[in-house]
Amino acid sequence: MADVLSVQALSKQYGATIALRGVDLGIRRGEVHAILGENGAGKSTLVKLLSGVVEPDGGSLSLDGAPYRPASIRDARRMGVSTAFQELSLVPDLTVAENMLLPKVSTGRFWPESLASIIRRGRDLLERFDVHDIPADAVVSDLSLAQRQRIEITRALSHARRLLVLDEPTAALPDTGWLFSQIRRATGDGVGVLYISHRLSEVREICGRATVLRNGSSIGTVALEGVDDAGIFSMMVGHRPEAEKRTALRPNKGAEVLLETRNLRGGLLKGVDLSLHAGEIVGVAGLEGQGQQALLRLVGGAMRPGGGEIIVGGAKAMLTSPQKAQRTPPGIVFVPEERKTEGIFDTLTAAANIALAEFATGGRERLVNGRAERLLARQSAERVSLSPRYLDFEVGNLSGGNQQKVLLARALMTGARILVLFDPARGVDVGTKQSIYQMMRHFAELGGAILFYSSELPELVQLSSRCLVLYDGRLAAEVPQEALSEARLLAAAHGHGERPTNDLRMAV
Amino acid sequence: MTNQLAMSTAPHSRRLPNLKVLAESALLIVLIYAVMAVVYVSVQPSALSPYAIEALLNNSLPLMLAAAGATFVILQGGFDLSVAGIISLVNVVIAVMPVDGPLGALANLGVALSIGIAVGAVNGFLVAGLRIQAIAATLATMIVCQGAALLILGAPGGYVPDFMVYDLTGSVFGVPVALVIILAVIALWSLYRRTDAGRNLLAVGQDRKAAGLSGINVERTEFFSFVWAGAFYALAAYMLAAQTSTGSPSAGEPFLLLSFAAVALGGTAFGGGRGGVTASLFGAATLTLMQKVLFALGVSSFYTGVIQGLIMILAVLFAAAVRYAVRSRRVA
Repeated sequence: MADVLSVQALSKQYGATIALRGVDLGIRRGEVHAILGENGAGKSTLVKLLSGVVEPDGGSLSLDGAPYRPASIRDARRMGVSTAFQELSLVPDLTVAENMLLPKVSTGRFWPESLASIIRRGRDLLERFDVHDIPADAVVSDLSLAQRQRIEITRALSHARRLLVLDEPTAALPDTGWLFSQIRRATGDGVGVLYISHRLSEVREICGRATVLRNGSSIGTVALEGVDDAGIFSMMVGHRPEAEKRTALRPNKGAEVLLETRNLRGGLLKGVDLSLHAGEIVGVAGLEGQGQQALLRLVGGAMRPGGGEIIVGGAKAMLTSPQKAQRTPPGIVFVPEERKTEGIFDTLTAAANIALAEFATGGRERLVNGRAERLLARQSAERVSLSPRYLDFEVGNLSGGNQQKVLLARALMTGARILVLFDPARGVDVGTKQSIYQMMRHFAELGGAILFYSSELPELVQLSSRCLVLYDGRLAAEVPQEALSEARLLAAAHGHGERPTNDLRMAV
Repeated sequence: MTNQLAMSTAPHSRRLPNLKVLAESALLIVLIYAVMAVVYVSVQPSALSPYAIEALLNNSLPLMLAAAGATFVILQGGFDLSVAGIISLVNVVIAVMPVDGPLGALANLGVALSIGIAVGAVNGFLVAGLRIQAIAATLATMIVCQGAALLILGAPGGYVPDFMVYDLTGSVFGVPVALVIILAVIALWSLYRRTDAGRNLLAVGQDRKAAGLSGINVERTEFFSFVWAGAFYALAAYMLAAQTSTGSPSAGEPFLLLSFAAVALGGTAFGGGRGGVTASLFGAATLTLMQKVLFALGVSSFYTGVIQGLIMILAVLFAAAVRYAVRSRRVA
């Protein structure tokens, strides 16, 4: 069958950084084609080139046989190519309907269309793509991350006549049912789909072929049926990953208690008792909206409790801000969910971002010395295996995985003994995941304690020395390490009486 | 369980956001203005005479128009200092134009708008096209315009057509012309904010990147915000000339800070994305009225600035408090 999109020797350079150095791929009409690669392999650049955000330096793109060189998002849409972006491109204070129809919302020629009529059209669009639970007149900033992601995808679907680009479409979705049925409908109409995801199981479920990128080059295109996961990993990283190993940390009930909560409430959290001992990694599992976010924010000082107590280092503590939490001995540091908005300074260098913690806690009157900053940053960077060559980069130019490393390095820099991490390995590649895991284990071995939430079950099973399962704002179960399995966690996460289904995954 | 999940994540429907919209609309500043007007009338009962109302509106109008212009740029997240330069330049050009009568006034208006739009377009090109920082670019155009104003008219003077001085500051069928202009601007804005261009302006101010990825032409939106601003500054200068019946090369200077103050008082966020022209109009009117109240109370003009500043802080705090209250109600 003819290719709807064909890409030849595509290259793109940002200043001295080569983002793409030669990508070849072809997407057939009606095919779902996966792009696999570590963070920094060039996936985001490829997405930007295809959607018209940036223009290529070399190589050629063709769409249905005709040269394709979009100068803008609108240009790309006109030619039937649209993208659901990973970072979600919705305008917060507009309604869902307006966002769906941007940038030409009003159809009125001489008089602007009424909001009621715009919302009616938005509703029709939502209905067309089987989105029934999100009102078209809701304001986007009131929606959950999962709902926003579906709106982002729906908008892309509504413009995709030839090619649909989905960049991590399931990062925030609780299940893939709706997405996959919409994808199948689009491919049934002959639309080609370029699908990017870190979740191999779902890639295998929906995609026929995959093109693997490494270091900005396409390594090859494979039929997914003919290759196992290890084979794909080895294409992605160039070597086989070491076998998955579980945390060797044993829970030690005799160890010092660093943090306790008593009947802690707030947000969706309805009362949780937990204790965190030195040297353990406590995982938190739960379906979307069971209070895990509130729990971690409360313990991290990013939210005020609605009741209950937090006891840090043996004394009752009022964690009124993350800064206060950091200064309450033995120190709590919180790495939040949305790194883009809640923690990182895009325009500072990686080194400055890391050393910030030291300068922020060390004292007010000290001047920032560039060399001291670099030196400090380098030590922490090593612990999260962030390559020192990135230290001088502006953080905004780093890949998602490296940004996460920068945040973790900063957290380590504070010298706090309690780490609170919200989905620390979300949306990062296999290699980065492993170095994050390693850092976490090392931290606990040195006598620190970690409380972390993860949306991925294997991660919880692999890392936790015990795992707390939240359901409806309360602890539904505490699973010790020897009993940890994905099935066990999934069952507990569903509360009582329900059996886990196979396609349901944990979600943020 | 499914029900519970749906409940916990159900988006707010229209009811609550409406409250939010209300809190962020011009309502607050209209209330503040009303309170101030009551105070004014109680200390100065003669303020209710048609002549006094007309005079008050005429005094307020230039700042209101300048603030309206500044709002366009601030809403998209930008900054425009050229207001002082454009007003001075347009003001002296009108004063040296050898025209008279209604047609002369029309010619003046045409020239004024052309200058305002041209300088606005230059600002837009520098900022949106060449990516020069807005503060630097508009500071430069402000200085250029002020210099040009001095070249055209070295000292206050010149001639303003009688039609502008008398008819445009008077009343038609008992309705002050100033009021007609204000209502026209409010109507224009209510319409504009519902067009794609208006929606895009706010969208760019809220989240530039998301707006761009949604297909909005961010540069174009930025560019036209400066053009709109320039046109409104020119209109402000035009009405200022009518009111003062003379031209001055430094006419625009007081407008620089006061127009920003008016926008802030109206509750438009300086980061962009929130607020509106109507609110800025009332912000400017409130500032002018405040001066009148203080004068009527016999407060020495040396204290006026101090008190004005303090009242501004209170007003902005009050608005923030209301917004906060509304937000916590939404969460609860």
